[in-house]
Amino acid sequence: MFKRRKQKEKKHHTGEIPTGSFSDIAFLLIIYFLVATTLVKVQSVTADLPTGEKQADAQVDKTPVVNLRGTEIFFSDKKVSVENFNARLAALKLAEQPPENRVIMLESTKDTPYEVYFQALAAISSNHGVVAIVEEDE
Amino acid sequence: MKRSRSKKRRKVQVPVASMGDIAFLLIIFFLLLSEFAKDKDLPIALPESEQVEKTEAVVVARVAIDSSGDIYFDGDRVDNAKDVEWGIRALLTRTVSDNQRHVQFKCDARLPRETFEPVLKAIAEAGGIIEAVGEKP
Repeated sequence: MFKRRKQKEKKHHTGEIPTGSFSDIAFLLIIYFLVATTLVKVQSVTADLPTGEKQADAQVDKTPVVNLRGTEIFFSDKKVSVENFNARLAALKLAEQPPENRVIMLESTKDTPYEVYFQALAAISSNHGVVAIVEEDE
Repeated sequence: MKRSRSKKRRKVQVPVASMGDIAFLLIIFFLLLSEFAKDKDLPIALPESEQVEKTEAVVVARVAIDSSGDIYFDGDRVDNAKDVEWGIRALLTRTVSDNQRHVQFKCDARLPRETFEPVLKAIAEAGGIIEAVGEKP
């Protein structure tokens, strides 16, 4: 009886690590990753804002100015809708202009929500304009 | 004679010994390429515009401002826009091309200018190209 037990124990010790199911485990992990992974491609607007100090001699007079007052958009001091704003920007044919003439000044009031700001940013960027944020004098 | 030959052919086994290795290589591949979205659960109502397009640009950093005005840089909350600027500056020190300067920017549509504009300026000052995330209406 005692001998039999010893023999049984020996059987356990002599065995190698069972690796037969490794591939199954690995494939299960792959399936898990494939199912759990969400490939998110976000929609966005690209804007490369120029930086630098304000220049006194800058060609401010010639540069188009966009004013955002609350939820309203003003282009060259005239109130415009988002569609109209797009049309006005398209008429400028900014893509054909040299880089220094593509600048659009963007001014906004404190209560301007990001929604309106984003729409202006998107319109300018899609028409190949370069947004220059106008800072308030303190 | 013909019958015995056809029987022998049927005994050919598919070599499956390397299947485990291939599977583990695939796992390592997925682990290395996976990017976990850290700002997925933030309460952000994205702005809408007809001009938004699906972007192919690889972003170096993710900046988000949630509905309560809290700023997040790569999923971690930061105190102000200056922290965002320094963070991006540090990431862009070794960049060589414009393709490596894209910074994703998510912001709640209802937030006022004083909350989001300093962050936009901070990204621009640090040399990042803003990828402002929005939705089509």
